[in-house]
Amino acid sequence: MPRGKPDRPRLRIIGRSELVTAPIRDQAQADLDMDLEFELIDSIEGLQRVVTRPGSFDVYHQWHTVDLIWTARCIQAIDLARLTHGAEITAAAHARSGPSRIIDTVFDKLFVQPDGRLDRIPTGQLSMLPLLHGVDSFAYSPSICAALATDEPESWGWMLDKRWEGRVATISDPVLGMIEAALAVEAQRSQSFGNIGNLTIEEVDEVADILLHKKKIGHYKGTWNSFEESARLMQRGGVVIQTMFSPGAARLRSLGVPLVVSVPVEGCRGWHADLCLSAATEGAALDAAYAYLNWWQNGWALASVARQGYYATFPGRIREHLDAAEWDYWYLGLPAERVLADPYGAPSVPEGHRREGGSHRERMSRTRVWNTFMDEHTHVVRRWREFLAA
Amino acid sequence: MSVHKAYYDIVRDWLTYNIQSGTLPPGTRLTVAAVADRLAVSRSPVKRALDLLEQDGRLSRDGGQGYVVFGAQSAAETANLHTLPLHLPQGQTATLVRPSWEPILEAVSEAVMDCIPFGIYQISETEIGNHFSVSRTVTREALARLHDRGVIAKDRASHWVAGPLSARMLDEAHDIRRLLEPAAIAAASPLLDRARIGTMAQRVARALAASAPLPPELVDDLEADLHERCLAPLRNRKLAQAVGQVQLGRVVNRLFDTYIGQHDETAMLREHQLVLNHLALGDAAGAGETLRFHLDAGHLRTRDRLKVLSVFSEPAIAPYLTRIS
Repeated sequence: MPRGKPDRPRLRIIGRSELVTAPIRDQAQADLDMDLEFELIDSIEGLQRVVTRPGSFDVYHQWHTVDLIWTARCIQAIDLARLTHGAEITAAAHARSGPSRIIDTVFDKLFVQPDGRLDRIPTGQLSMLPLLHGVDSFAYSPSICAALATDEPESWGWMLDKRWEGRVATISDPVLGMIEAALAVEAQRSQSFGNIGNLTIEEVDEVADILLHKKKIGHYKGTWNSFEESARLMQRGGVVIQTMFSPGAARLRSLGVPLVVSVPVEGCRGWHADLCLSAATEGAALDAAYAYLNWWQNGWALASVARQGYYATFPGRIREHLDAAEWDYWYLGLPAERVLADPYGAPSVPEGHRREGGSHRERMSRTRVWNTFMDEHTHVVRRWREFLAA
Repeated sequence: MSVHKAYYDIVRDWLTYNIQSGTLPPGTRLTVAAVADRLAVSRSPVKRALDLLEQDGRLSRDGGQGYVVFGAQSAAETANLHTLPLHLPQGQTATLVRPSWEPILEAVSEAVMDCIPFGIYQISETEIGNHFSVSRTVTREALARLHDRGVIAKDRASHWVAGPLSARMLDEAHDIRRLLEPAAIAAASPLLDRARIGTMAQRVARALAASAPLPPELVDDLEADLHERCLAPLRNRKLAQAVGQVQLGRVVNRLFDTYIGQHDETAMLREHQLVLNHLALGDAAGAGETLRFHLDAGHLRTRDRLKVLSVFSEPAIAPYLTRIS
């Protein structure tokens, strides 16, 4: 690949490994007349970099951080007029159905208002280009079914259940981990938390104390940082129940590991991932950045990660890139007509399998809480560190 | 770090400075009682300072009468020290000798405030003593006052700890601040110099017109205009003190400016303008109302900024602080 030619713009991109997959990186480089430099950062360091050094990147694949990075003004507003499908975003914001209802949280902080705040009232400027969303929950091995009561509903409480003591794993990230732990604690106590996405100091302490106790009595087999690690824990680590990202589930299915992705009665943890422009990007690099944004809008990349269970925020963009069997399985929740491949081309979904939770709309309607940094984030991190170190 | 000096050293420096500058000309008679009275300090440090100055060769004994500034002079002159235009060495305030814990108090308070958004810290009495070269007694006095202010607390093992600065602490400080500060500015309004308010308003207007991001020092100074200088004429000192202690949000904003660097202060500036316009017209009630609006809006911005800070680890910390989680 020719690099560093003076007339060829360079574009520096920061994203997570499961979001900007190898097939997507290769296809983008093949389609776009520019030098793409991807930096895959799965930890909090990605966010720290973005906030403190906007000059070190052009495009950021944000993940529940848009409010933080907008507060820090390390990203610039996206000009709606420069997006190929900008009109469809405004239309969705005005509509009383469709994407703005399914994932209202995206639209709540999408438009830059004249006073600099983010709100859902449409303007010509966006904080981010909405791309993908989904819901996550825990997954388990069918081997535990023998211990379940007849018709026992799937519940987040299972994550703290004595029945599989010593064979449980959880995510090591404090932001997502605390939300999931709170869901589990809530399932076990009679009273719900005031706002499970924004716990008070006392609520964080209550959850953390329970987790610490569980850890000390040997409840957990392990914690994981990436979906690959989670897949390994379940494949040969002796874990029978754990937090699961959909790429992890797709990987395990490709490996032939039997697996059930839960649809907990308490609801799921929702997320969205979108594209942001660095505040420092200008000139030819800014043109290149818009070209990259529009490349994502054309839908090829969105369709690629749909095969690991992600939903495009504007599903219309990806119809032409998925065949009927794929669309029916991933979006309509119908049984797979044939074996379906993962983003890397490996057979993953077995014939006849029906995605747990059903269609796009059904699954998203089960969102109980969105990934978010809580107001007491410092306290969450402090207690979470205690849990990891116990 | 020379935040703290012994009393006798301060007195000695002060006398040396004034002898060198000629304000205390050769032949001037200095007695322990007169110097102690002039400086409003007790006699023993003055005695020690005068003894040391004699050793330095700057003073000579004047029989049993005290000391005389050394130099050619026929007869010693007893001057009324209160009539001499004595100068203070640079950096000294009008109150020459402050309580010895006072400078430490502010230094430790600032160091603690600068790190608590990032976690919990333990404060070492011994290390403060070493760092500032002060006694245990002085250190304890300073820490007791920080405890009164709610900046630090004792943990179960009786160690001094501080932090973390939580969103709730900000909320609580804001709840009190929005009650006190509008009342304070309304009370200060009739006492304010209108021309000075005009100058402040012009500064804000210039900042709003500036195209480049504002330097953090300027932002801090504009904040000081409204939240300190406009309250300065306040006659109720208790109210002034209470307001000063609940301005916690300013710590977060200063840290945000320092470590994140990027900021858009347009909303803050427009709110300042609003309050200053009411003050310029002598509308005390309006100034109070608009200040409350500004405090509420600013609080939301501060909360957002604290969240951004919370994803970082702390910058360099003072040697007497240890992060414990």
